[in-house]
Parts: sequence; structure tokens; C-alpha cells
Amino acid sequence: MSALRLISNRTSQQALSNSDYTWDYEYYEYGPVSFEGLKAHKYSIVIGFWVGLAVFVIFMFFVLTLLTKTGAPHQDNAELSEKRFHMNSFVADFGRPLESERVFSHQMAEESQSLFHFCINEVDHMNKEKESQKGPSLESNTHFQEVPKSSGMFEEDLHCLTKFNIPNFVNTEQNSSLGEDDLLISEPPIIL
Amino acid sequence: ENISDFSLNITDCTQIVVPEEVFFTVAAAGILENLLILIAVVRNKNLHLPMYFFICSLAISDMLGSLYKTLENIFIILCKAGYLTRHGDFEKKLDDAMDSMFILSLLGSIFSLLAIAADRYITIFYALRYHNIMTLRRALVILAIIWAFCAGSSIAIALFSYEAATVIPFTILFPLMMCFILCLYVHMFLQARSHARKIASLPSSTVHHRTNMKGAITLTIFLGVFLCCWAPFVLHILLARFCPHNPYCACYMSIFHVNGTLIMCNAIINPMIFAFRSPELRSTFKKMFYCPR
Repeated sequence: MSALRLISNRTSQQALSNSDYTWDYEYYEYGPVSFEGLKAHKYSIVIGFWVGLAVFVIFMFFVLTLLTKTGAPHQDNAELSEKRFHMNSFVADFGRPLESERVFSHQMAEESQSLFHFCINEVDHMNKEKESQKGPSLESNTHFQEVPKSSGMFEEDLHCLTKFNIPNFVNTEQNSSLGEDDLLISEPPIIL
Repeated sequence: ENISDFSLNITDCTQIVVPEEVFFTVAAAGILENLLILIAVVRNKNLHLPMYFFICSLAISDMLGSLYKTLENIFIILCKAGYLTRHGDFEKKLDDAMDSMFILSLLGSIFSLLAIAADRYITIFYALRYHNIMTLRRALVILAIIWAFCAGSSIAIALFSYEAATVIPFTILFPLMMCFILCLYVHMFLQARSHARKIASLPSSTVHHRTNMKGAITLTIFLGVFLCCWAPFVLHILLARFCPHNPYCACYMSIFHVNGTLIMCNAIINPMIFAFRSPELRSTFKKMFYCPR
């Protein structure tokens, strides 16, 4: 194989000079290699390599499966009340500016609650950042200029609504099959 | 002396040769599949997104790898038939060009996979700001930088292949990239799992827990295929550099053609893992094939 020229150091000067250059399919010459007195099987590297590779892949699979299984049910129940409280307060914060400004209809606000399931974590994250920064510093464009700027979280929520076509994550097609979700979509994607 | 030569021939590790028909079939399948993906992304305006551009980059590098194999087989056949001489400047230059094409494909493949993993990472962890971070223009700039770097490195490696200084970084790059991609995906995976748990804890959700398993299976398949297709070749390079005269190493190197075929199989499997999982891309294919002109 011609590519082997670049990885063989054996023939150094000879291989690089033009007069001795040959293009051979079988590049290796086994002349200098002696197979006498081998202690182990001659294909031991091959077998060892493939067995090691298979073991590694299976090990990786088990580690990933364990990752899915950790998190016992009692932990979920303990988080349940905490998350419900958080969700209620979140919705309450969102609900007030809506009714006062009449930007959205009430029905759309209820439907859009489901969209926030995916935004929860991001908004949590941003809230924590904002609390530490002591002052909102929004970098995203918002179309809703009439919204009062006092609630920084609210603008992020609106941005989440308007720009909700995240690739790989939310499937906006009505006729897509739920079984063929992309890598690491952990739940059936929400069909808008 | 004659007896020792004879015994050497008996216990030799002969080259395991993959038939040329298999080579050509696998290579042609890889080229066609990746070409389809390129055509589909170009034709459908909905697919002009950074994610699909990275998948296209992967398709191009897979295509280059298969193309290299095909061209090389054609030239070997021409050599055997006598149309090309085995000695000569032209053949040497051709050989250099094809070596660099192969290394370009390898590096392009690794960096494209890295770009896809990074893109998905940004999707999950910076979901709200994704469209500001990963604009189309930035994606194209990133791809241009990646391919320029790969082209330069491949030419340098092909020219200075006899130096150990090129072989060692080349072989270190592979496990480094693998580990990095694995860390990215595990982090994403944990995040997706905590998302799922939060959704499950909400009162109004109707959710099953089966698809967490599916993520684990997908990730294992992706990384397993990547490892199984590329690691044999990388080990071959290492052994050829450091122990070419050792009989064990020589026996490993005798299966080089199988390793090359594995790399071409990777070109066939990659689109199935990445591109065909997108519903939009699949519907574009259906329109291309089933819609009468």
C-alpha cells in the first residue's frame, strides 16, 4: 500500500530516493523479520487489541446505562414538592406582567407553559447569574419593547418563546415520528 | 540457510488481502451516501443551519477517504496492467498527493465530529442564546479554519512523514479528541437526564423513562463505531513507527487492508448515525427519490 511509505522508517534513505521508489500493493517485506521462537501466539497483538476494544466499549455502555439508572424514585419524590413550588412561583411571576400588559392571550399563556419545561433550567441558570451580577445585563434581542424592564427574567422567557426552534432538541414537525429522536433527546420532543 | 529461509516462509504472517471487489463496493457505497447528503442539504433551504453544515463537513471528509481508496485501487490496477510505470517522478508525486488526501480525510473527520459535539453542547447548555452564539457566518468561519488547518497538516505530515515528530502528535490527537468528545457527550447526557427528571416531577406531564436508555445506546454506538473504525489504523501507525521488525508487530501490520476497509465502513456508518436521524433530512430524501420530475 502506497500510504505505508509514510509510516515505515525501515527503508529510510532507500525509499525516498527516486531510483528505488516502487509502488507496490504489498509493501512489507518480511525478510528481516524472524518468526522463530515466539513465546505467544503470533496474532496475540491483534487478538489482544480487539478484545480490549470490545471490553472498553461494553464497559462504556454499562457506565452510561448506570448513569440513566441512578437517581432512585425516593429522590424524585423529594424533589417533586420542591419543583412544584418553584414552578408555581415561576408561573406567578410570569403571569402578572402578562395580565397587566395584555401581550399574550390567556390561552396562549397556558399553552406556552409546556414550552417552559425546557426553559426551566436555562432560566434558573440565568437567574443565578443575574443574582450574582446584581443587575440584569441582557444580551438577547427582544421583540417586546413595551414590557417593563424591571423583570429581567421575563424578557428571557419571551426570548425563549419567540426563538424556540432549537436544533436537535425540539421537533416542530407535526408528522415526525417520535421514535426517531436525535441524540440525547431524553424525552419525546414537544410538538408545537 | 535454505532450510531456515523455508521455515521463515511457513511461519510468516502473510498479508491478509481484501478482494478488490469488496474495496470498490464499500468505497462506492460511502461516496454515494455522502454525496446524497450533500445534495440534500444544498437543495433544501430549511437545512441551511450550522448543525447541517457540520454534518456536511463530516460527509465531505468521509467522501474524501473513500475516494482515496477508490483512486488508489484504480492506480494499482493500472500498474498491474502495465499502463503506469512503477518508477518515476509522476507516480511519486501522485503518491504524495494521495497520502495527503487520506490524512486530510482523517483529520477532517475527527474535527468535524468535534464540531458536531460542540454544536450540540452549545444547543443544550446555552439553549436560549444558541442563535446568537452559533450564527451561520460563524459556523462557516469555523469550518474554513478547520479545513485550512487540516489541509496544512496533511501536506506537512505527508512531506515529513519519516520524522517521529509528526507521527507522535498524530497518534496522540486521536485519543485526545475521543476523550474530549466523550466528556462533552457525558455532560450533555447528564443534563438531559436531569431535564427529564424535572419534567417527570411536574404534575401535568405524561412521560415515560424509556428514552434515557436510548440515549445511552446511541452514544455507545456512535463512540464505539468511531473507536472500532479508527483505532486499528492508529495502532498500526504506531507499531509501524516503533517496532516494524518485531514479529508480533509485523503480524498486526499484516491486517492493514482490513483496517483500511474498516475506515471506509466508517464512512458508510457515520451518515446513518448523524444525518439520517434528522426528520427534515429524511423528508428531503423522500422528495428527491419519490417525487416524479
